[in-house]
Amino acid sequence: MLKDTMTPKERAAAIAAGKPVDRMPCNPNIANGVARVYGCKISEFNTNAKTIADAQIACYRRFGADSARIFTDLFTFAEAMGAKVKFPDDDTADLEAPAISADVPDSELMKEIEKIRPVDPYHDARLPLHLEAMKYLLDGVGDEMGCSAGVIGPFTNSFFLLGVERTLRAIHKNPEVVHKLTQISLDCAKSFADAAIKIGLTPTISEPMSSCTVVSPKVFREFSLPYLKERVDFIKSKGKGVVIHICGQTNKIWRDLADMGIAGMSIDNVASIKECKALIGNDTKIMGNVDPGGVMYSGTPDEVRLKTLECIRDGYDSPKGYMIMSGCSLPVDSPFENIDSMMNTVRELGYPVDVNKLDAMLADVKKRLGI
Amino acid sequence: MAATKEELLQRLSDCVLNMEDEEVIDVAKEYAAAGYDPLDGILKGLVAGINKASDLYEREEYFIPELLICSSAMYNALDVLRPLIPKEQSGGKCKVVIGVARGDTHDIGKNLVKIMLESANYEVIDLGRDVPVEDFVNTAKREGAKVIGLSTLMSTSMNNMAKVVEMLKSEGIKDQIKVIVGGGPISQSFADKIGADGYSVNAAEAVKLVDRLVGNAEPIPAA
Ligand code: B12
Repeated sequence: MLKDTMTPKERAAAIAAGKPVDRMPCNPNIANGVARVYGCKISEFNTNAKTIADAQIACYRRFGADSARIFTDLFTFAEAMGAKVKFPDDDTADLEAPAISADVPDSELMKEIEKIRPVDPYHDARLPLHLEAMKYLLDGVGDEMGCSAGVIGPFTNSFFLLGVERTLRAIHKNPEVVHKLTQISLDCAKSFADAAIKIGLTPTISEPMSSCTVVSPKVFREFSLPYLKERVDFIKSKGKGVVIHICGQTNKIWRDLADMGIAGMSIDNVASIKECKALIGNDTKIMGNVDPGGVMYSGTPDEVRLKTLECIRDGYDSPKGYMIMSGCSLPVDSPFENIDSMMNTVRELGYPVDVNKLDAMLADVKKRLGI
Repeated sequence: MAATKEELLQRLSDCVLNMEDEEVIDVAKEYAAAGYDPLDGILKGLVAGINKASDLYEREEYFIPELLICSSAMYNALDVLRPLIPKEQSGGKCKVVIGVARGDTHDIGKNLVKIMLESANYEVIDLGRDVPVEDFVNTAKREGAKVIGLSTLMSTSMNNMAKVVEMLKSEGIKDQIKVIVGGGPISQSFADKIGADGYSVNAAEAVKLVDRLVGNAEPIPAA
């Protein structure tokens, strides 16, 4: 197996200084799959901060990816605000019931929302556990790589407070309720992001419900963007760059996102790197987008190699930089050999990218796959 | 002056299309009071409207929130018109059991399929999300459903779709119950591979698919 000769931190610094490096940065986005590497159950992440960090570190040692992130599921904020979360023994947590009961009639919603108290990241639900895990992570690998903290976007969090379908309807039927929920979600996440930054991590934002696969760009601009922008500005004011990930199609809102001055845009596999590069490549780094389900989980190592090379082919010359990544968090049981294949493809290619070599590697793997 | 049947049908359709989920109730009442055929009101008014809404969704002019309000409008007016349909006409086409496969909780797409099937007068039994394999089979048997619709957006749950087909086979009832599959990672070739009877890329096509599989009408007796 090919070996990295630089740490992620050295690599990033050298690239920023325009110096040659061993390979392009790569993030397979292993998420809760780190439990499979470390050998623990996913539910242990709900009670043991050290396990969260150690599993991330074990995964980094095993695969050598360029990022480690403290993030277990989308529901940590909502849980701290009163939502019920289900914790399967060995799978990712899931929303069981929103913070606001389905029995509350529409006319009472505003009153009910007033009752949700401000979140204290040092005390409520699993938030302190995550903050503690951040410290362990930083202690373990902080000198080798930049560590990030997953933060749920304010608009998405609203859906977990009111329930997904009810919120979708409220967008038209009860807009002030959605605004109010998104405002309190913003306040909550601010205090958490602030705590994470104080520890020394960089927040990254996941905002899946803002996707054009779910809501229109118009709805995004009215209900999500103003709050997202406030969040981004806040993080930037603390001297950190912000990466945003939105699942699904996002092409119609890239301009809005880039205009916030974000450090990176991580896109889903249903979106096009080429199109993204053309539209916002001059403004921000582009990250993506090997299909996590269809390729990383269900494909063969050669198929992973093919898609990795194709993504790099589309993105490598993006003006503000490009990072090869999966289109979203990997399914928990993605085969190790596929993750290795992604990393090794990037190692073999080297950096800066030599297009001739890239094309030769592409031709080679296509031949092997018979396409 | 009283509105003509055509005018009211148009207004029913427009109310659904334009998300007028309250106004539609008054229009449906006016339509009913005028004594026009309730079944026409449903099919040529409400269903025409929801079909247009679903076209706008395919063209990315409508998104999920809009489609859900259109469907509320349709259901609100259905509540007015359905009770007026004579008993012998009122049975749904047949029963369809639908749900999201075990291990997955994405249910927006499944809900849209359910809405469109109901608009086409199928009686849909919705098992929700993260549904165990045997629940699909047992419910279909108990309810005498002719179709099981399986949805998933997670690659990791695809295998549980295959298990539903296997279970039907092992119980020897695969010929009596058709299985249709859909969702992001699903394709026609996957459907073929697991021995499902059909696949469709979206909710409107799902209706055509079920129509084809069950030979369209075949009304069941009203409960
Ligand atoms: C919205 C969304 C969510 C919402 C779900 C809300 C809800 N109640 O459903 C939230 C934010 C909660 C969520 C959570 C997660 N998500 Co998500 N999510 C999405 C997103 C952005 C859009 C999905 C959607 O609603 N589409 C709109 C609907 C209308 O489309 P549809 O479902 O495809 O349905 C249409 C057709 O497929 C068809 N159809 C659907 N079902 C059926 C059934 C039959 C019988 C037929 C005939 C047709 C049919 O008709 C429908 C209407 O036309 C996608 C992104 C993407 N690329 O798709 C990711 C995506 C589905 N999510 C993904 C993941 C991984 C997750 C998480 C595990 C992430 C995490 N690490 O926390 C969690 C947990 C989910 C769980 N435990 O089950 C992955 C799945 C990867 C994979 N293939 O395995 C995706 C693809 C993102 C990605 N690129 O990786 N998610």
